[in-house]
Amino acid sequence: MSAAKIVSCAVCALLLYAATAAAHHAFSPVYDSKRSTTVSGIVVEFRFANPHAMLTLDVKDDTGKVTKWTVEFAGQLNLSEIGWTKESLKPGEQITITGNPTHVVSHQMAFVRIVKADGTVLLPAAAQRTDILEQERRERARRRTQSP
Amino acid sequence: MASRGSLVLLVISLAWPGAAAAQSASRSKLEGMWSDPPVTIMARFCASWCTDAGIERLNALLDNPANDSRPVAQLSAEASVFQLDTYIKGRLTPGALASFPLDPADDPGLLRCEPWGLARQIFAPHQLEIRRLGPDRMELHYGEWDARRTVYMDGRKPGAGQAPSRLGHSNGRWEGDTLVVETSGIAANLTIWRSRHSDRLRVVERFTRADDGAMLLLTATLEDPSTLREPVVVKRNWRWAPTSIIAAYDECKPPIAVKKGVEP
Repeated sequence: MSAAKIVSCAVCALLLYAATAAAHHAFSPVYDSKRSTTVSGIVVEFRFANPHAMLTLDVKDDTGKVTKWTVEFAGQLNLSEIGWTKESLKPGEQITITGNPTHVVSHQMAFVRIVKADGTVLLPAAAQRTDILEQERRERARRRTQSP
Repeated sequence: MASRGSLVLLVISLAWPGAAAAQSASRSKLEGMWSDPPVTIMARFCASWCTDAGIERLNALLDNPANDSRPVAQLSAEASVFQLDTYIKGRLTPGALASFPLDPADDPGLLRCEPWGLARQIFAPHQLEIRRLGPDRMELHYGEWDARRTVYMDGRKPGAGQAPSRLGHSNGRWEGDTLVVETSGIAANLTIWRSRHSDRLRVVERFTRADDGAMLLLTATLEDPSTLREPVVVKRNWRWAPTSIIAAYDECKPPIAVKKGVEP
């Protein structure tokens, strides 16, 4: 397995709301939307559950030490709406995941983006809706400029 | 006369491409499974709760060419703040204002996995299944928290001495094609906008199916002489989703640690 890549950024354009707008509680007391972390690792378990789906990931660093990461998602109710199933992430699968880390606990994050080994990108429901909503807004602006 | 907000919701429903499939469903019945609304700006704005003030604000923001380069999410967030600051806040009593808004880090749903009270549950995202359980009652079953409410259609009163409960006592009636549900006996708890309410809260919900049959619209009026200076009228919408399934809701775990003072 490749060495873990852990990158933190001070300013993160990825909006936590995108992952959690439909959660049963705000994520802001637990996760820091102003920072993001990216790790690569092997899926140990994906619990497709409510109120939140949870992923356990084995992440190996440059010395070969393995650390277990926990990733929190919106719930099954939310993810089902965009076609996720319990098979969306399989044990043994290599993934690279970006998320918002917790304020106080390491090795845990809230899901923002996953890239699978074959390049498939998984995004939260709200992020998937963005293009559709922006297109509607552009159409609305176009009609406005064309109206007499 | 219909408000602009109502008209907007109606337009949303008419614009949804799944409308034709749902037209065969009876307009006079609300029974069945409803879920998250279609992906349109206004439908998503009202996916949990919205007000006419918020809808008007969002329309104004969208109609202003100066905002054409701002993301829709940013405009929606601004309209949400507007409806909180102008509509909701202006209706809270001084006592309710003192603790408004509750810090999300103090949310008992987060800290203790405590299911929501009525004033949050009815605005919970995701599914709402409406079922007739018999001639005298209906059930409202929500995806969030897997919560179930019984709505008595025979006008029965709560039992003598019955203490206020999380979801209260609900009586329903039909006014034409509109299901009207009046609920009282609700234990003091939180509203969806994180203000506190008392056990004097009374909620009237009006459920209607939009003309094309594909959308379910809720207009809820909340009255609480202890925490609200005047009634608050809130709206939300769902889409017809007969194949949607409410999954188990049994893996809630309190967080290891929370940080106070961080707004959502």
